[in-house]
Amino acid sequence: MVANNYHEEEALGKVYDARLMKRLLTYLRPYRVAVVSAAFMLLVVSLLQVAVPHLMKIAIDDYIGKNDLDGLTNIGLLFAAVLVAGAAVRYGQTYLTIWLGQKVLHDIRQQVFAHLQRMNLAFYDKNPVGRLVTRVTSDVNTLNEIFSSGVVAIIGDLFTLALIVGVLLHYNWRLALITFTVVPLLVAVTFVFRAKVRNVYREVRARVAHINAFLQEHVTGIKVVQLFNQEDSAFRKFDEINLSLRAAHFRSIYYYAMFFPTVEIISTLAIGLVLYFGGFRIESGLMTFGELVAFITLVEMFYRPIRDLSEKYNILQASMASSERIFNLLDTSSTIVSPTSPCKLEHCTGRIEIENLWFAYNNDDWVLKDVSFSVEPGQKIAIVGATGAGKSSLISLFYRFYDYQRGSIRLDGIELKQMAIDSLRSHLALVLQDVFIFSGDIAGNVRLRDDDISDDQVREALHRVGFDRFLRRFEDDIGSEVRERGATMSTGQKQLLSFARALAHDPDILMLDEATSSVDTETETLIQSALERLFEGRTSIIVAHRLSTIEKADRILVLHHGELRESGTHRELMRQQGIYHKLYRLQSRKQAVRIGKD
Amino acid sequence: MNANESKTTFSRFSTVTKYLGRYRWYLVVGVLAVIGANGLMLVPPYLTKLIFDRLETGSPMSEVGLLVLAMIGLSIASGICRFTIRRTIIWMSRHLEYDIRGELVAHLLKLSPSFYDKNRTGDIMARATNDLEAVRMMIGPAMMHIANTLVVATGALTMMAMLSPRLTLYALIPALVFPISMNKLGNMIHRRFLKIQEHFAHLTAVCQENLSGVRVVKAYRQEDHEIENFADLSEHYFKLNLSLGRLHAAFYPLFQLVATSLMLVVLYVGGRDVIRGEIELGTVVAFFLYLGMLTWPLIAIGWVVSLYQRGTVSLDRINQILNTTSDIPTGCAEPKSDEKSVRGKVEFRDLNFAYDEAPILNDLSLTVEPGQTLGIVGLTGSGKTTLVALLARLYPVARDQLFVDDIDINDWDINALRRRIGFTAQEPFLFSATVADNIRFGRADASIDEVAQVAQLAALAKDVDEFPDRYETMVGERGITLSGGQKQRVAIARAAMIEPTILILDDATSSVDTETEYEINQRINAHAEQLTTFIVSHRVSSVKDADQIIFLEDGRIIEQGNHEVLITLGRRYADLYRAQVLAEQLESL
Ligand SMILES: Nc1ncnc2c1ncn2[C@@H]1O[C@H](COP(=O)(O)OP(=O)(O)OP(=O)(O)O)[C@@H](O)[C@H]1O
Ligand SMILES: Nc1ncnc2c1ncn2[C@@H]1O[C@H](COP(=O)(O)OP(=O)(O)OP(=O)(O)O)[C@@H](O)[C@H]1O
Ligand SMILES: [Mg+2]
Ligand SMILES: [Mg+2]
Repeated sequence: MVANNYHEEEALGKVYDARLMKRLLTYLRPYRVAVVSAAFMLLVVSLLQVAVPHLMKIAIDDYIGKNDLDGLTNIGLLFAAVLVAGAAVRYGQTYLTIWLGQKVLHDIRQQVFAHLQRMNLAFYDKNPVGRLVTRVTSDVNTLNEIFSSGVVAIIGDLFTLALIVGVLLHYNWRLALITFTVVPLLVAVTFVFRAKVRNVYREVRARVAHINAFLQEHVTGIKVVQLFNQEDSAFRKFDEINLSLRAAHFRSIYYYAMFFPTVEIISTLAIGLVLYFGGFRIESGLMTFGELVAFITLVEMFYRPIRDLSEKYNILQASMASSERIFNLLDTSSTIVSPTSPCKLEHCTGRIEIENLWFAYNNDDWVLKDVSFSVEPGQKIAIVGATGAGKSSLISLFYRFYDYQRGSIRLDGIELKQMAIDSLRSHLALVLQDVFIFSGDIAGNVRLRDDDISDDQVREALHRVGFDRFLRRFEDDIGSEVRERGATMSTGQKQLLSFARALAHDPDILMLDEATSSVDTETETLIQSALERLFEGRTSIIVAHRLSTIEKADRILVLHHGELRESGTHRELMRQQGIYHKLYRLQSRKQAVRIGKD
Repeated sequence: MNANESKTTFSRFSTVTKYLGRYRWYLVVGVLAVIGANGLMLVPPYLTKLIFDRLETGSPMSEVGLLVLAMIGLSIASGICRFTIRRTIIWMSRHLEYDIRGELVAHLLKLSPSFYDKNRTGDIMARATNDLEAVRMMIGPAMMHIANTLVVATGALTMMAMLSPRLTLYALIPALVFPISMNKLGNMIHRRFLKIQEHFAHLTAVCQENLSGVRVVKAYRQEDHEIENFADLSEHYFKLNLSLGRLHAAFYPLFQLVATSLMLVVLYVGGRDVIRGEIELGTVVAFFLYLGMLTWPLIAIGWVVSLYQRGTVSLDRINQILNTTSDIPTGCAEPKSDEKSVRGKVEFRDLNFAYDEAPILNDLSLTVEPGQTLGIVGLTGSGKTTLVALLARLYPVARDQLFVDDIDINDWDINALRRRIGFTAQEPFLFSATVADNIRFGRADASIDEVAQVAQLAALAKDVDEFPDRYETMVGERGITLSGGQKQRVAIARAAMIEPTILILDDATSSVDTETEYEINQRINAHAEQLTTFIVSHRVSSVKDADQIIFLEDGRIIEQGNHEVLITLGRRYADLYRAQVLAEQLESL
């Protein structure tokens, strides 16, 4: 029913594991010392581990076999020392590895989040928030395996393996070689498995992101779902995703269930070979019992890292699927960036010139067509027009939320694209048509994270917009709790709060996009007179449908289907009898008749 | 206290256990496979002992060969069992994950808005994914490992006891450390993991909010602050994980130490006995092999304890949601008569309402006859939205205060009631779907012609015709790629689509220009006879034609009557009217 491609993850091409891996490893670079120490500790652990069967061999052959109880006691003590030392070093190593893993995750998480902060709005138009959240949180966490049990452990495993191979060869190279004959078999099995499981993991990650996107959307839109009795149909939709996630998991279980026993059987095969051929050698007196015992223990130890390696390799597949998505995101760069050598604008007078501006969200669907006008410093400009005319789009261009295709917008004579985005935005304050309130407290919503704005300034701003009327009702004054998206406030209250936010940031140019559309006229009048005093001499641009909001503007611009069609004061435009007149005529005519009747 | 505890544990796990019955065969087969796999694995060490005995006595190699073959055969058999274990127990855990997630989401979909007022989206999302995974780990892998350990331990210990009871006793002494350390470490893990999960949910919620509010963040150049703030949160998450990591780092070596020290004891005591000639060398070797089998299961216990602790933490968090009940009980009454004769009469009788303590609506009495239009005006925060939300039962209403078609709203079957109400919320919420799908959200079977028809009604058709894919145009999340007024009109069309008897327009045209608004009002008026309409607005132009207008202040009706009456009254409504219209009127005259 719903066109799915929006939720479907971007199709992924062939992965180059090696390249991904290399890139992941770069995150370890700052922690070289830790990596090396952890690997070193692992080596010590492996050495101590290999020492255990060797000690056993000595105990059996040299002491038990020769009835030497004192020797046995000594070797027992040595054994104990080795165990304790092994445990201590392993503790250190594990802790260091966990530290390393978490540290790198912390770095990546920050990087992904920071990257998202820099993305332009067109990107957000296309990507559901739930999916992006998945990237920052659970996808990053999935990488944990690579760093905490992957990289270092693999180094350790490889070393242990080499060590065991050495010792095996040393004990008895013939028997050792016989043991190794099964290794190619193991490699083959691992490769087949790997190919299967990687695809499944990709699917799993995609479904998880899909589930998050679903939850995010339906939790935020729960009222609509319930008001329209769509609980069941929403659930059916969810069930589909949930089912497909389960199916993907089932497939991965199947592969794992095949893989592990196969490895087990192969390792028994090796032990069988050792026993059989070792037996021959004992029979012919070429080998001692102690050696055979040690050999068997070692062969088991030999297979453990191999099994671990292949298991880790597979865990890595899961992480690879996540890293692929994370890197994809990191490689998508914002199309709107500050120029390399931006023009500085220290003091902003608020002169705005727009010339032959053309803008489209997609290709050639022009939303703004050849718009030109200019605003003198200190002027109050109102933009009106039918819904969908392009008013909000025009406002968002000032902010460089999107980039215009043709023409120019100049602020104090400087083309917007020549300015650093940050410095451009520092001169503006905007009340968006879609109000957004953060959870936290009232003050936090006004000052955001700008600690320069004092409590008094916050109160002042709230007072200007008439919000203090509600503040009195709250227990904690400006520290009162605000829920996610301002769930416990009325729409008008939210608008006032976001209006206060704009005032508190004390801009050179104020932009109001339907800032008081849900506020009653009484409060609005109050705000207007406050604004008149406060913004004396500063430029402001106001978008509104309500006449009372705009009629006092110095100039009113009428947008119609993306074109600037009329411009002038209220009086002038009413006299022109054009679009503006038509927009407000209905209202006035009918009222006139009524009044006449009264 | 103990009884109490067991009771809470019981209800804690019932979320999981109620599904277990469905998968009992998986469980039975899985446990059998665990026993089989491990039982089979117990034999090879014994075979090894036999081989060694043969070698010592110098029996022919063909016997040894046969024994070796038997060993490989056994390992294939146990491999099949191991396959079965995963195919049943882990498989079952994914089933349970699916079931519980389904239950959770179904429950979430039924929870009333007041729940969502209090809980953050990110937090809820974390519970449905991250926490659920921890629970699954507790059910599946942990269960598999514990079964494994139990079977291996029993088997190995029995075999060992049969070989030499004395040696077995000695070997068990170091194992006493387990129960003590497990309990202590377990509790510590529980506490630390709880903190981690809570913080993770917080992190998710913050990230979620930040990305949803990206326009504000950018407009006010908060990116760097946000990054800083997030870095702090992430840092804290890092530290919490590290504190858990310290425990984990201790767990593994500790358990390994204990497991290998069993070997040491056997080596020493067993070696001494061999020297004294009390047992044969083969027995000691077999002992080693059995102990070797015990090593991993014992280490796994540590892991299982940790999984269990994590699982219970997360299960509690999930149960918190499942144990929340909707504060809106549904009745079952539905007028017997067929749908057409539903009139749409609404009556408020001394209605009082509060979200928490502070009263929002006070002693509100009002009757709206079928087919009438009620206009609601009033200051911001005076309770207009609350009033209409109660009508759609978004929040609970006390008995005998609100009647629809003379039936107490609490007695109404909630779905039947909502089927009659076309609700346009003040802040329209659209889904990231096509325009058409958004419009027919309440009536999925509506044809594209019907969609176009209501779009016409909502004065949306002209806009849609200019979209590249017309009705098949995708709107972004929350309808982000539409203009404010377009969103509102889609919402109006969506409400009109279900052909309601009661239409609620909560400031539904605040972002629509007056001309278009007039158009919409005209078209709705054409259906006015069958439609009881509630119009909330700050614009006089939207309500002035209403049969009845109320002016709300602090949840009380302070003025009531039609436009003319209220104008003549010359109080608040008249002031409003003057402010909005007269000034302009005078100027243009
Ligand atoms: N992010 C976007 N991506 C694609 N198209 C968009 C986007 N935002 C708006 N549009 C389209 O651009 C046109 C102009 O929208 P805009 O929001 O500028 O209108 P508006 O004049 O502010 O209208 P309103 O008064 O209803 O708020 C509309 O047709 C809308 O569908
Ligand atoms: N979910 C909620 N939980 C707690 N308090 C709430 C909740 N929703 C609204 N309120 C409070 O109830 C009061 C009335 O809110 P309501 O939304 O009904 O006002 P309104 O008349 O619709 O205002 P507006 O004109 O701004 O839309 C406000 O003070 C608001 O803070
Ligand atoms: Mg707009
Ligand atoms: Mg409201």
